[in-house]
Amino acid sequence: MILALLAISAFAQKVEFNRDVRPILSDKCFACHGPDAKAKGIPLRLDVEAEAKAERRGRFAIKPGSPDESEVLRRVRAAQPARRMPPAITGHTVTDAEVATLRQWISEGAAWQAHWAFLAPKPQAPPTTESKWPRNPIDNFVLSRLDRAKLTPSLPAKPETLLRRASFDLTGLPPTPAEIDIFFKDKSPQAYEHALDRLLASPRYGERMAARWLDAARYADTNGYQFDGERQMWRWRDWVIEAFNRNQRFDQFALEQIAGDLLPQATLNQRIATGFNRNHRGNTEDGIVPEEYAVEYVVDRVETTSTVFLGLTLGCARCHNHKYDPLTQKEFYQFFSYFNNVPENGRAMKYGNSPPYAAAPTVAQQAELAKREAAIAAERAALRRDEAKITAAQGETASARWVPTVGLDFAWKPGEPTANPQAGAFDIRDHFTIATRIKAANGAIVTKMTDRPQGRGYGVYVKDGRVHVHITSNYVNDAIRVDTERQLEPGREYAVTVTYDGRVAAAGVTVYVDGEPQAVKVSQDTLYRPFVNAGAIFKEPLRMGAGGGPANKFAGEIHEARVYSRVLPPDQVAALAGVTRPEFARGAYLETAQTAQGNTWRKLQQLIDQQERFARTFPTVMVMADGAPKQTHILLRGAYDKPGEAVTPGLPAILPPMPAGLPNNRLGLARWITSPENPLLARVTVNRFWQMYFGTGLVKTVEDFGTQGDWPSHPELLDWLALEFVRSGWDVKALQKLILSSATYRQSSKTTPELLERDPDNRLLARGPRVRLAPEMIRDAALHSSGLLHESLGGPSVKPYQPAGLWKEISMQDMDYVESTGQDLYRRGLYTFWKRTIAPPMMVNFDAANHESCTVRESRTNTPLQALNLMNDVTFLEAGRLLGERMLKEGGANPLAYGFRLVTGRRPSPVESRVLKDSLQYHLDYFSSDRAAPYLNQGLHKRDPAWKPQELAAYAAIGNLLLNLDEAVTKE
Amino acid sequence: MNRRTLLSRSAQGLGAMALQSLLSADTFPNFAPKAKRVIYLFQHGGPSQLDLFDYKPGLTKLSGTELPDSIRQGQRLTGMTAFQTGFPTAPSVFKFARHGQSGTYLSELLPHTAKIADEIAVVRSVHTEAINHDPAVTFCQTGFQLAGRPSIGAWISYGLGSENQDLPAYVVMVSQGKGNAQALADRSWGSGFIPTKYSGVKFRSGADPVLYLSNPEGYSPTARRRFLDDLAALNQQKLAEYQDPEIATRIAQYEMAFRMQTSVPELTDLSKEPESTFDLYGPDARTPGTYAANCILARRLAERGVRFIQLFHRGWDQHGNLPRDLRLQCEQTDQPSAALIQDLKNRGLLDETLVVWSGEFGRTVYSQGTLTATDYGRDHHPRCFSLWMAGGGIKGGITHGETDDFSYNIASDPVEVHDIHATMLHCLGVEHTKLTYRFQGRHYRLTDVHGQVVRALLS
Repeated sequence: MILALLAISAFAQKVEFNRDVRPILSDKCFACHGPDAKAKGIPLRLDVEAEAKAERRGRFAIKPGSPDESEVLRRVRAAQPARRMPPAITGHTVTDAEVATLRQWISEGAAWQAHWAFLAPKPQAPPTTESKWPRNPIDNFVLSRLDRAKLTPSLPAKPETLLRRASFDLTGLPPTPAEIDIFFKDKSPQAYEHALDRLLASPRYGERMAARWLDAARYADTNGYQFDGERQMWRWRDWVIEAFNRNQRFDQFALEQIAGDLLPQATLNQRIATGFNRNHRGNTEDGIVPEEYAVEYVVDRVETTSTVFLGLTLGCARCHNHKYDPLTQKEFYQFFSYFNNVPENGRAMKYGNSPPYAAAPTVAQQAELAKREAAIAAERAALRRDEAKITAAQGETASARWVPTVGLDFAWKPGEPTANPQAGAFDIRDHFTIATRIKAANGAIVTKMTDRPQGRGYGVYVKDGRVHVHITSNYVNDAIRVDTERQLEPGREYAVTVTYDGRVAAAGVTVYVDGEPQAVKVSQDTLYRPFVNAGAIFKEPLRMGAGGGPANKFAGEIHEARVYSRVLPPDQVAALAGVTRPEFARGAYLETAQTAQGNTWRKLQQLIDQQERFARTFPTVMVMADGAPKQTHILLRGAYDKPGEAVTPGLPAILPPMPAGLPNNRLGLARWITSPENPLLARVTVNRFWQMYFGTGLVKTVEDFGTQGDWPSHPELLDWLALEFVRSGWDVKALQKLILSSATYRQSSKTTPELLERDPDNRLLARGPRVRLAPEMIRDAALHSSGLLHESLGGPSVKPYQPAGLWKEISMQDMDYVESTGQDLYRRGLYTFWKRTIAPPMMVNFDAANHESCTVRESRTNTPLQALNLMNDVTFLEAGRLLGERMLKEGGANPLAYGFRLVTGRRPSPVESRVLKDSLQYHLDYFSSDRAAPYLNQGLHKRDPAWKPQELAAYAAIGNLLLNLDEAVTKE
Repeated sequence: MNRRTLLSRSAQGLGAMALQSLLSADTFPNFAPKAKRVIYLFQHGGPSQLDLFDYKPGLTKLSGTELPDSIRQGQRLTGMTAFQTGFPTAPSVFKFARHGQSGTYLSELLPHTAKIADEIAVVRSVHTEAINHDPAVTFCQTGFQLAGRPSIGAWISYGLGSENQDLPAYVVMVSQGKGNAQALADRSWGSGFIPTKYSGVKFRSGADPVLYLSNPEGYSPTARRRFLDDLAALNQQKLAEYQDPEIATRIAQYEMAFRMQTSVPELTDLSKEPESTFDLYGPDARTPGTYAANCILARRLAERGVRFIQLFHRGWDQHGNLPRDLRLQCEQTDQPSAALIQDLKNRGLLDETLVVWSGEFGRTVYSQGTLTATDYGRDHHPRCFSLWMAGGGIKGGITHGETDDFSYNIASDPVEVHDIHATMLHCLGVEHTKLTYRFQGRHYRLTDVHGQVVRALLS
């Protein structure tokens, strides 16, 4: 609205369709007379020039040059309510100013333009000027716009203000006094450039950039919806930080996140990148219909991908043709089908990641793994050297049975107790093997489960003569059940062995009879949650010949049973089952040989087992994968259970077609999105960066470049920046530097009543940005200036201070927030554990993105809860205390000025100094020892005993006061 | 940009012409409101309409018989009973009787609600799209099943603002019942895509009714006053230099924070309530954090002009052991809910306060799990459920809508959740199609593209 005001009222000029007219038609008319008109049985479309200007029974909706003969103008002015457009029921009216605009446009010939954002950016020559103000072409565009509005740029910001602004913008942290001093001492004309280079090279840069990317990618540490159990996506976050820090080309950054898994020889990192489209919520509720949510996940991918990379609200075409943009419902589902081939289940895992996911060892773990692999290789080589000796020696014991010992958890033989409380303590993500010899009859062989039919836990049975295995959290809908096709003969002896590889799917179960893997029938394959909720213990014992109630008592005989905490490979299963093969003789010999070779062999087995166990500790990350192609249908009204016409993958017709030679799959889509022919990716991206620095994008609707999106404040500049970005090789750091080097950015952010009246939102950029800090930056800055911030890069999420009970009050009862300890209390906000249903309260207070769905627009409000947060949250009280200590310790002759500078990056004015001095005196007088002691008892960081409590408390209060300054939470 | 920031800006020098063009849109209320505020008693988990409001005497003789296919009509079931082999009809074990002059049917579990039968309008024909808790609560709260849109309280606080400068416009309180409790989420009272300041503020029992409200130990209100004066002096310096209106707003918000430090503890302190209050609301009312105590707080918030007051009481999810657990739920909630109506009426506040009692869906007529003479469970049922409304704008003593003989499908006067929203807004003087917020190019509404005011409920 403000923009329309500026565009038309502030400087009368020729009406321009895209800037002035399309927004009116789109907002007031297109919902009926737009792309979806035909589907609604409305003959007139106003979004298509030919139709809008066509003659209909002697009349024209729009007759160029003849406003009085244009039906559109008559109808918006009609006296009769029944004839007036838009109809009252829409709640819309066309204002006088808008009517005037339409009238002027039609009088001037009603020139039409295609929607700007769908056309390729036009090369723009920066406007020339006599002014010495511009530092780079950005400024020429901005100045030319200011000239038209008869406004002039502001003076440059003070150096310390500028450095603080750039530090927040590039690293999310304020500069240290030392950094400010260096900046002041650097008298070269490149001093500012040096500072920018330093900031861009800081590891903190990647963290700062990642924070907003996480908002867009709806990153969280839990699944969302109702149960909201924990998941593990932080390795994707690590990847994002690292990609920004190494300045990965943005097109590649985008490509890998959309389809890194489909690249030829995709690396682990390229697969991790695709976590972008697995960050969506996952519903684990008992009662859901999985198909319904499987659709929601794909819709979320479409909406997020189209918002982030295309600036399109494609989701609006889910239920019907888009009301404003020329996007059909069919096109939505064609786009949908690119993301519809993930082999996934609509019901997500209660805890942890849902398939598909990948083990994603950290760099340190990868190094450790390599070390272990080298050790294994060394032992193998040693055995090879002694091969002749082994062959000679093993002959003597060749007939022995090979009984593997590594990973043996429990062994049982007849006569021993039939229940063991410790053995077999596995849950659904553990690996195990149960190896038995039985005389066949129906009933339970080995179980660990509640002792009733359809109980919870796992068990191996003979049921109707078949080997039956179940792993059950809830018999009805949360279990795996398989049965062998083969039937055992009653009374005959068999070796029955079952292995399970922790994959939470029936495919992870293998049943062997007499060492031979068996074909099985899967009767249930929907396991989602562990036997017990996180943290609790599953108390059932391991039972021999029983479990599942009296009716399931084993009617045969068990001759032996062994339980391993690993998956025995087929050869060991066979050997253990008593199968004799020449190649087993070696294992049988080495397993027990009291020779150097035997020792080496056993050590090797241990190392392999340890390495496998180590690999199971790797964090995992949900990734994209294409399984068997699924047939996508248009879903009528968007409903999962109302499939319509079948569709194939395809791109919206308004955008350029996919270049020949690209595969018509997600990879082809990613290549198309990142191709220079796509008019949107570069524009949308530079616009989002612009928003990061100026608080508002050149297109204010950063999420919507469609016809309902705002007209750019500086269309030529937007195109120039977009083309420059592509020309530079999608060089993100270069783009940041370009913007931050401009005179536009370097202006003072002081404003005036006149400027506030003319341009309250600073869209014309006659002053620098003054924007409240993002939520995580407020806390990061407080930790930084108090010296508490623990700067370490990447890793799992942490749980800083949070008021007690917040989770317990409204979550499922077993979930509580357990605060981190030590340095993890003081890490940057982007590492704070994000529980979707109960987000970190400080972040919420300061307008954090919701992390439920894609959010790209930054929002700032100003509330009393924020004031309470900064005054009374232990985080800011402890930081205030540490800031107080720093003032006393490092502040020299003027501790107050030092503290002020730590927070604001500048020295206080005389008036400010006086206020602070008086306040300090008040607090020195105020704090008796019985007040000081509890006041200082905030947070876990130890208090420095060097200072008297009363004095330190007074400084701590000043520290907290400084953190509450408007300036402390504002980039100015 | 939204209306409220515009209005606040108008005081800070936005040009008169600009203001004129910006205010051409609607202002609220659109017409004379009946109610000034809402108290929404959200019964979380899905209270059984069959055992509380929707009297089906004919079911007794059908006990244990299979629910006819003609009734179920192949309608989808939750994953919890979809694999069940039979669907035995489970009549309520509770007695029903007519109450008040209106003769409203209510179950014996609601003896106190029975006393206010002539004040309430029972709606037995509400239906929802969602079949599971999270989407269903989200739907009731935001008009859409998937999280991301503003909650009803946020919409109303955005549209109508606050009547009290010392308290938030939208206050939420959560209590825990004795029955099976499902999880809630902060976003249930969130602001979605409209600015965060319209979010519900959760009041908690205990020392800090609002997060971070209390000064740290050792720091007195006097010291805080001095702190704020010094802070304001420094911020004033900044304002003079930069002239950014956000600084003036921040100064004002710190003052409101200070007032909240007094007004909220005063509000939540029930020690000065007379004995008669606790007699009215029942014995639980003395225990902070209970539903009963929250009902008293709701009245106190209403007295202070808070616009939207919402209680969430958990524990209505009776998949099993319904006869036992539902009784426990009602013991905790029946008396306080009725007391609230009575109390508001005694104080002359009922006419200007809209009270809504509702869960997110109903429960099935067939038993989940084994049906015995004294025990059964009920699964989620979206096709019909019951709620009641009372107070400002509502005609008391009526029962609206009917379900079929099995309380399975709606027989007459179906009411959508969107209709309830439209009706609530109507009572507040807001035309539901006009309360919009533009996001992603669309003018979003609480009622999406739906919603009809249920005229039959209006006084």
